[in-house]
Amino acid sequence: MKLRQTLSMWLLAMFILVLGACSNGDAKQEEGDAASKEETTEQTEETKEDGEVTEVVFWHAMGGDTQVTLEEIVEEFNKENPGIEVNPQYQGTYDESITKFRSVGGSKDAPTIVQTYEIGTKYMIDSGFVEPVQTFIDEDNYDISQLEENIINYYTVDDTMYSMPFNSSTPVLIYNKDAFAEVGLEADKPPRTFNEIKEAAEKLTKKDGENVERAGFSMLNNGWFFEQLVYTQGGYYVDQENGRSGEPTKATFNGEEGQRVFNWLNEMNEAGTYGNFGSNWDDIRAAFQAEKTAMYLDSSAGVRGIVDNAPFEVGVAYIPHPDEVDPQGVAIGGASLWMSSGIEKAEQEAAWEFMKYLQTPEVQAKWHVETGYFAINPTAYDEQIVQKEYEKYPQLKVTVNQLQDTTSTKATQGALISVFPESRKQVVTALEKLYEGEDPQAALDEAAKQTDRAIEVAERSNK
Amino acid sequence: MNGQPVPQKTTTPMANVNPSGFWKRSKNFRVAMLYLFPSFLLFSVFVFYPMMKTVYLSFFLTDYEGFPSLFVGLENYAYIFQSESFRKSIIATFIFVLITVPFGVLLALFLALLANEKLKGIGFFRTIFASNMGMSVAASSVIWLFLFHPSIGAFNQFLATFHLPQVEWLLDPSWAIISVSITTIWMNTGFAFLIILGGLQNIDEYLYENANIEGAGYWYQLKRITLPMLSPTMFFIITVSLINAFQTFGQVDILTQGGPAESTNLIVYSIYREAFINYQFGPASAQSVVLFLCILVVTILQFKFGEKKVHYQ
Repeated sequence: MKLRQTLSMWLLAMFILVLGACSNGDAKQEEGDAASKEETTEQTEETKEDGEVTEVVFWHAMGGDTQVTLEEIVEEFNKENPGIEVNPQYQGTYDESITKFRSVGGSKDAPTIVQTYEIGTKYMIDSGFVEPVQTFIDEDNYDISQLEENIINYYTVDDTMYSMPFNSSTPVLIYNKDAFAEVGLEADKPPRTFNEIKEAAEKLTKKDGENVERAGFSMLNNGWFFEQLVYTQGGYYVDQENGRSGEPTKATFNGEEGQRVFNWLNEMNEAGTYGNFGSNWDDIRAAFQAEKTAMYLDSSAGVRGIVDNAPFEVGVAYIPHPDEVDPQGVAIGGASLWMSSGIEKAEQEAAWEFMKYLQTPEVQAKWHVETGYFAINPTAYDEQIVQKEYEKYPQLKVTVNQLQDTTSTKATQGALISVFPESRKQVVTALEKLYEGEDPQAALDEAAKQTDRAIEVAERSNK
Repeated sequence: MNGQPVPQKTTTPMANVNPSGFWKRSKNFRVAMLYLFPSFLLFSVFVFYPMMKTVYLSFFLTDYEGFPSLFVGLENYAYIFQSESFRKSIIATFIFVLITVPFGVLLALFLALLANEKLKGIGFFRTIFASNMGMSVAASSVIWLFLFHPSIGAFNQFLATFHLPQVEWLLDPSWAIISVSITTIWMNTGFAFLIILGGLQNIDEYLYENANIEGAGYWYQLKRITLPMLSPTMFFIITVSLINAFQTFGQVDILTQGGPAESTNLIVYSIYREAFINYQFGPASAQSVVLFLCILVVTILQFKFGEKKVHYQ
């Protein structure tokens, strides 16, 4: 008797377990599906009513406040264009969004527009799921020269503009002006070179016995910052001139330029003036605001939030460079909008209208001030709301200047490789090993080796 | 995938077998098949087919769309066994299993023994102890993420008030695996607690009554009655915890993303990374097959050696 009771109890428990596991995973998904289905039916009904509304499904990866701004812009567009209904759908992070796009790309279920991060550029081009926006630029005689040159350069591959830039950002150095004043550094003369940063970091570091109360300098464990510090020296991430003049075959970021960056980080780490706050954007921002670090590298898109939330005076400066090298500037980060191929022409044209709308100065001005991303269309900077915002946040201007001061080279155009997400992960691992005391060269070489393998595998399997 | 450790003793009565015809003799078999059919069907669609497909994919490299495009034989296996990163991942997984399973089960046993006492208001504690069962992996991981926060987390703030050295919970590779383990133990305790408590409640009162009459003390009763009678439940919960620990994913994804320096890159997370960040379904499938074999071996070993100690009444 006892055995049977125990058995049935187990079975029940297993059943609950399985049930729990299923509902955990699927509940969210179903909710999402149901919601999007509802939206879609609503829209189809509308289409039937007046017969000529074209629906444009727009997949994006903008969460939080940025999503609110984006949806406002879309709503405004839909109001102004009664024949087009843009339907924005949040698809999670860039990584998640591109993974989903992989599974539907090229089919009828593909969204009309998909927002993809800059490092997905090469993959999107190679995938064959997309129609270059150049097609529409040519058909429409759209004047592309009105847009920011350095941003256009990133997304132009073999003289073809593949995607429409949308949200672009660059890295900047953010520092605590009060802390600078406190240790006798000039708050309005931020350090520019690797050595200057190192010396400033030494002064800014505050220790209580073994505990570091405030680190001098920090950098998020994200491959993006490493790439930028290589580009600004004119260094390439991969061969074939950063993959811009041919199919890359080898990683080159472990060359001289990359070594300078790793050695520099290593010296500060060994001196105890470097603060490691992991690979989460919010963590390092919280650390800066809690005065656990006095200087750090962040995205220009984060500047406004930091200035708003920090209880001290915040300074923004250009990213640092090695003393012996003339800085060349920064490459664009962020994302761009891609047009699906294999969908109806009318839908594509409606999507093109929307893309053009996004580039107008008014929209770009709103986008710039509310999110901190750059205005793709520089005339937006003359708009009144931007000027007013600059009076309040002069720091935002620094980010724009840094981009406009950039010399356009194959380095600052940014690297093009299809396995970028994987390679970036390898660089993060290398950084983490470095902070644990591994030899800088060995850590860097390992990341390069893994990247080489990824490039080779991708090349073999995609012939 | 989960081997379900229901120790069944087949007691099919073979008494009324008529030896005259095969049709009649196989009646039991046919009836059994009929009963098993629905589960076979479901298992085929949701377990056997994906398993076969995984094995198949592990011999290929995949293109950008995820379709197998190049047959490479055993290259994926050769690659993962040579890869230092995979070896680290295996070691991390075993460390993780060795920390979470014993501590998790012992903690749950301890709480269940406490909650099994007949005291006023014990129902409240039973509810509290089991309550984290209702929390999703994601929600609890986020809470722990805040607690572990390097600069403003509660743990470090607490240490700071007593002027103790700060701990880099999720940033120091040797601490990170411990932090993830602590989170996991906390998350799994509710379920283990509930099952063990159920097992305790199932033990017949009269055994204790007799023991009391004989004058046996608490510890003696615990050793001679409670633990032996509880052994089937313990066997079940250990097996399930083992399998769960091998398949840990959510908390790693939220807390550390496998870092720092791959110290918490548990095998399922490593598979996820290979498949959905690197889009290499071939090597990812090869890793899955290795994981499957690991779990299989551990489960078989457990049934072979562990079950001997189990006392079925």
